[in-house]
Amino acid sequence: MKTEIYTTTTCPYCAMTKELLDKENISYIEHDVSVDEEARHKMVQKSGQLGVPVTMINSELIIGFDRKSLKEAVEKAKKAA
Amino acid sequence: MERQTYDLVIIGGGPAGLTSGIYAQRAGLKTLLLEKEIPGGQVNEAPSIENYPGFIEISGMELANKMKEHAASLDLPIENEAVQEIIDNGSLKLIRTTGEDISSKAIIIATGAKPRRLRIKGEEEFLGRGVSYCATCDGPLFRGKVVAAVGGGDRAIKEALYLSNIVRKVYIIHRRAEFRAEKVNVERLSKRENVEYVLDSVVEEIKGEGLVNSLVVKNVKEGTISELPVNGAFVFVGIIPRNDFVDAEKDSHGFLVTGADLETSIKGIFAVGDCRSKNLRQVATAVGEGAQAVASVEEYLHN
Repeated sequence: MKTEIYTTTTCPYCAMTKELLDKENISYIEHDVSVDEEARHKMVQKSGQLGVPVTMINSELIIGFDRKSLKEAVEKAKKAA
Repeated sequence: MERQTYDLVIIGGGPAGLTSGIYAQRAGLKTLLLEKEIPGGQVNEAPSIENYPGFIEISGMELANKMKEHAASLDLPIENEAVQEIIDNGSLKLIRTTGEDISSKAIIIATGAKPRRLRIKGEEEFLGRGVSYCATCDGPLFRGKVVAAVGGGDRAIKEALYLSNIVRKVYIIHRRAEFRAEKVNVERLSKRENVEYVLDSVVEEIKGEGLVNSLVVKNVKEGTISELPVNGAFVFVGIIPRNDFVDAEKDSHGFLVTGADLETSIKGIFAVGDCRSKNLRQVATAVGEGAQAVASVEEYLHN
């Protein structure tokens, strides 16, 4: 399973998304797009989004802190693994 | 499916709801708090809070975490279900949620509010593509760019101040010439060199290609229309209460009407915080109401 999350340090919904992934024991790569300009470009390219958090679990893209979609994507990825 | 009966179910986990939770746990009530999204609620989005006594300056996220920790220290049970409907069967209320049905003797509604939208062309299309309702979340993505803050209340001015620390330039677009926000922040903003005021003006359309690149702005006094090149639009034009699921009396803007004891028009159902009809919506007022409502719930349960 490959999980990436695009965040800013001041975004509460990013913190909640990470908390959810932590609870599910999912390890992830975090990109702080407030400082990492390259990651910011990549996020916009991949998601069309200029808003955080953006979470990618395998090929699935979850925009915002959407508890239901995050959980579903985690379950799906766990099954596939 | 139904389970145990609670003395009190608190719907919403912002400052008002968490305070009710703290008081209810300490009062020994069998309590459950339902929070569908994020404990602390809207406070999380405040860049800084400077008028909550005891904290000269604290970020909203930090204050929310402290309140959450306080509630957790008392083992307040929190579940992440959303409420769909409340069925009032008199002394027992049934709460239909996205999970199980829950029954409770009393309910405190502390669901707060969500940002009001402009409802103009381009707003939906560019949501998350330059249109945002949370400067602390998305502001850092606009480092070195030009953005607009739309609105004239406390939140608009605070977020404009926050944005002006990060971005190259902030236009503040307000439909009147005067701001109703706290004077201290209005003055601070007036001293910022990278803030330009666009007053007596409303945004009519948000334009872009993939991402936002301009706003169509109308001066309401002169009737003139201009196009403002921006990379982002942060919208803070008021709030809408989140209380569709309850059938109690509401004011003309949809906020729940209560008496001094915070009881709604339905016996045993109380309302606190931003979802309630009142003049001042602050952390300080939410917390006071959260405490008061539990005292009212205790009296209600006793009778």
